[in-house]
Amino acid sequence: MTIVLKDIVKAFKTDVVLDGVSLSVDKGETLVLFGPSGAGKTVLLRLIAGVVELDEGVIEIDGRNMDGVEPEDRGIGMAFQNFALFPHMDATENIAAPLTAKRMGQQQIKHTVEKVARLLKIDHVLHHKPKELSNGQKQRTALARALSGEPHILLLDDPLRNVDAKLRFEMRLELPRLLKDQEATVIYVTQDYKEAMALGDRIAVMNGKGIQQIGSPFDIYMSPANVEIARLFGDPVINLLDVTPERSSDGVQIMLSGQSLVIDDGYAQSIGQSCVLGIRPEAFHFVEEGTQGAIPVSIETEAPLNEKTVTLALTKNKREVMISRPAGAPAPSSGTAWIKVDAKNIHLFDRQSGLRIDPLKTQQAQGAA
Amino acid sequence: MSDATISAQRPRRFKVSRRMLPYLLSLPALLTCIGILVPFVTAIWYSLQRYRMSQPWNRGFNWGENYLNFMTDSAFWNTLKVSMTYAFSTVALELLLGLGIALLLQRRNRFNNFVSIMLLMPLMTAPALASLMWKLMTNPGFGILSYYASLIGLEDFRWASDPKTAMMTVVIVDIWVYTPFIMILLLAGLRSLPKQPFEAAALDGVPRLFVFWRITLPMLTPFLLTATLFRVIESIQQFDIIYAMTQGGPGDKLTVFQVEAYLNFFQSTNVGRSSALLMILWAITYFLSNIFIKNWLRLREKQRGDA
Amino acid sequence: MESVNPIERALRGIAITLVILFFMFPIFWIILMSFQTNETILRMPPSMVFTPTLENYMALITGKLETSAGILEIAFMKNLFNSFFLSTASVAIGLVLGVPAAYAFARLKFKGSEDIAFTLLSFRFAPPLLVLLPLTIYFQQLGLANTYGGLIWVYQLIVLPLILWIVRGYFEDIPADVEYAYRIAGHSWGATFRKIALPLAGPGIAAAALLAFIFAWNNFVFALVLASADKQPVTVGALAFVTASGIQYGQIAAGIVLSIAPTFALALYAQRYLVEGLSLGAVKG
Repeated sequence: MTIVLKDIVKAFKTDVVLDGVSLSVDKGETLVLFGPSGAGKTVLLRLIAGVVELDEGVIEIDGRNMDGVEPEDRGIGMAFQNFALFPHMDATENIAAPLTAKRMGQQQIKHTVEKVARLLKIDHVLHHKPKELSNGQKQRTALARALSGEPHILLLDDPLRNVDAKLRFEMRLELPRLLKDQEATVIYVTQDYKEAMALGDRIAVMNGKGIQQIGSPFDIYMSPANVEIARLFGDPVINLLDVTPERSSDGVQIMLSGQSLVIDDGYAQSIGQSCVLGIRPEAFHFVEEGTQGAIPVSIETEAPLNEKTVTLALTKNKREVMISRPAGAPAPSSGTAWIKVDAKNIHLFDRQSGLRIDPLKTQQAQGAA
Repeated sequence: MSDATISAQRPRRFKVSRRMLPYLLSLPALLTCIGILVPFVTAIWYSLQRYRMSQPWNRGFNWGENYLNFMTDSAFWNTLKVSMTYAFSTVALELLLGLGIALLLQRRNRFNNFVSIMLLMPLMTAPALASLMWKLMTNPGFGILSYYASLIGLEDFRWASDPKTAMMTVVIVDIWVYTPFIMILLLAGLRSLPKQPFEAAALDGVPRLFVFWRITLPMLTPFLLTATLFRVIESIQQFDIIYAMTQGGPGDKLTVFQVEAYLNFFQSTNVGRSSALLMILWAITYFLSNIFIKNWLRLREKQRGDA
Repeated sequence: MESVNPIERALRGIAITLVILFFMFPIFWIILMSFQTNETILRMPPSMVFTPTLENYMALITGKLETSAGILEIAFMKNLFNSFFLSTASVAIGLVLGVPAAYAFARLKFKGSEDIAFTLLSFRFAPPLLVLLPLTIYFQQLGLANTYGGLIWVYQLIVLPLILWIVRGYFEDIPADVEYAYRIAGHSWGATFRKIALPLAGPGIAAAALLAFIFAWNNFVFALVLASADKQPVTVGALAFVTASGIQYGQIAAGIVLSIAPTFALALYAQRYLVEGLSLGAVKG
C-alpha cells in the first residue's frame, strides 16, 4: 500500500501545525518522521489514521482518496506513544481488538493472538489487565495490537518513548526485522535520531510546520539540508563555527584560529559571505604539534561515551569544540593539543537562512557521473 | 472507472453521517427540553395579558400593565422584600456555618469523614419533608422545640405561626437542609488546596489567623463564590420549605416569589399577575445564573486540569 | 500543624458536638417519634423513655388508620410506590436521553454544542413554576394532566441537566486515544461507544443515576402542581396526609421516616460521588 500526502494543511484554531506538507511512502517502505516535539509528527499520523480531520489537502492510500473514509475503514494498524490500551480489557482482548472487528472465529482469534504475543514475548501476561503490566509489557501489547490484524499500513507513534533505556535498545534491534516481516508500509515517528537512523529506509525531518528534508539516513547525516537538521542528527552535537570563506592562493580558505583550512573550490560562490561551518566531532582528529594547519586547543574535559570518547576543548578565541574518537584511541587528556579538520568532511551553511551550501563543482561532477 | 465512482461516492455518504452524528445523539434530549421551552414562551405571553381564569370574558392584552402595576402594588414590594430577606439571611448564615464546619472537619481522618457523611443527611431529606419534621418539632402541643422554648421562659412560643418568628423558623429549616451543601463543597475545596503555602507559613511561624485571611480564604474564593451563587439562585426561588411550613402565611409574612405566584394562580386565579411575577423572578435568576455559570465553568476547568 | 492547645481542643470538641446535635437531632427525634403511640408523644415534659411500638408502621403498610372518628383509609403506600415509579422511570429515560447527548457534547465537538449544553444547564436555574403553571393548561389539552407520562417528562427538567453534566465530565476524562485506538482497530463509532466509552464512564453514569434519583425523589413542586392524589409522590402525599390524619402524629413521623429512608440509603451508598454530583461536576470529591 502506498501512502501519498498532497499539500496537507492543518490548524488547531489559529495555530497552524502543518502548512502544505507533501509526502509519499512506497509499498513496504519504512519511513521515519523525525523531529522535535511540536513539529506536527503526531498530528500527521492522526490525519492519516483519520481520527483528526484535514483542513486542506489530499491523503491517498493506494491511490484512493481518504476524504470522508472513517478510521475503521482505512486498514491501518497504529501504536500510540502513550500506548492507549483499553484499561478494562486484558492483554488478550486488547490484542484481539482488530480481529474481533473482522468477525474472526474464537479459535482463530486465540491462535492469532498467541502467535503475535509469542513474537513479542508477552505470551505469559496475556491475562493481565493493562494496569498490571510493566511499561515494557504495555508497549509490546500496544505493538501486538497494531500488528495482530496484519494491516497493510502501520503507524507507529514514538512507541519506544515511554519505555526504559534497556528496553529501547533491545527494541531498536528487534523492530527492523519485525517490520520487514510484516511486509507493511510503515510510518514511524520518533524524536530520537538513532532510532530514526536504525529503522528508516528513509527519514523525513519535520521542523516548524513542514518537512524540511527527506532522504536516506546516510544522506541526511552526510548532507543535512540546514543547520537545524545538522544539529538534530549526531551525538555529540555538530560543532558550529561562524566563518567567512576567503580567497586564498590555493582556492577557497577558511581561517580557524589563525590557521587556514583550504576547502573545495566549489565553495567559491560563498567567498565573503557570512557562513556557519559545521564540523562533526569525529571530523576532528588530534595531530602532533607543528603539523601543517594544526589548530591549538586547550583541553577542558574528556568523557567516555559508549563506543567513543568525547573531548571538550577551547580554541584560542575561547570557542568550545567537541572532538570525538573511537574509545581506546590514544589522545592527550589535558593541556594544549593540536587538532586538524578533514576538509572533505565539513558542512557549510548560509548564516542568514541556515540553508546548506553545496560546493558547485562537486555537484556538477556528480551530475556528470 | 466504476471503481473510481464507487470510491468517490462512498466517502460522501460517510461524511454526512459523521457531521450529523452529534446532532442525532443529542437531538432526543433537546426535543425533550424544547417541549419545556414552549410553556416558557407561553408564560411571557400570559404575563402581557389581563387574564383571570375566573373572568375568561375579560381576557386580553394589556401589554406591560401587569408589570407597571407592580410599581404601586404593595404586595409586590412585600414579595420582593420577603424574598430578598429570605435569600440573604439563609445564604449568609449557611456560608458562615458551612465554612466553620468545613474548617472543623478539614483534616482527613475517620471521625471527620464519618461526621461529614452524617451531616449530608439533612441535604438528602426532601425540603418539603424537612419542613414537616420541623413543623412537628415546633408543634405547640408536643413539639420538643416548643417545650425547650418554654423551659427558657418563652411561654407560648409559636414559631412559624407567629408573624414575628415565622421568617426565623423557615430560615432555620433552610439552614438545616442546605448548610451541608456549602459545607461539603468548601470541604472539598479546602482539601484540594496545595499544601506548600501552608507548610511554608507554619515553618515561618505565621499566625494562624493571618494564614486564614491571607492564604486560605483567597485560595478558597472560587469555591465560596460558586457555592454562594448556587445557593442564592436556589434560595431566592425557595418554594418547598415555605409552602410546606406555612403556605406563605401567617398573612403575607412569607409570600416569596414562587409562593405568591402559586397562590395568585391557584387561589385568586390571576394568571397574568402570576406570570409577570415569575418573569421578574426569572430575570433575577437569569442574571445571577449567568455569573454563576461563568464561575462554575472556570472552577470545573481548573479542578479537571488538576486531576 | 496539629494543635496541642487543650483549650482549643475543648472548643473544637464543643463546636463539633453542637453541629452534630443541630443537624442530627431532628432526624433522631422523628425516628423516635415514629415508634411511639400518641399518648407517649403527647406527654409533657417529653421523655426519651417509652416502649417502642410498630403500630404506626403497621397502620401505614396496611393502609388502615384507626381514629376516634372511625377507620380512615390512607394511601401512603401508594405515594411511596409513586415516588419509586416516578423516580426510577425518570432516571431511566433521563439516562437513555442524556448519556448519548453527554457523549456528543464531550467528544464530538460540534457547532453550537456549548450553547446547547448551557441552555440545558440553565433550565436547572429557572423558576420551576414559570414552566409548570402554563404547563397545567397544556397538559389539560394534551391529556397529560395527572398522568405518569406527563410527570416523567417534566422530571427531565431536573434529571437531564444533572446526568448530562456529570456524565459528560466522565466521558471527557477518557483519553481520546483509547477510543481512537479502538476505531483504528476496525470498529465503528457505535461499537466504540458501547465497548469503550460506556464501560469506562460506567462509575460516572451510576453516580449520576443515583443522584438524579435522589433529586427526583425529593422533588415537591412538580407533582404538587401537576398531579392529583393517586399520582402523588411521598413529598406531596405526606403533606396531604398531615391534613387528613389530623393528630395521628406517630403515623406522620413513620411516614416521614419511610419517605427519607431510601434517599439516605442511596446517599450512603453513593457518598463518593455526592460532591461531584451536587456541584454538577465542577468539584471532584
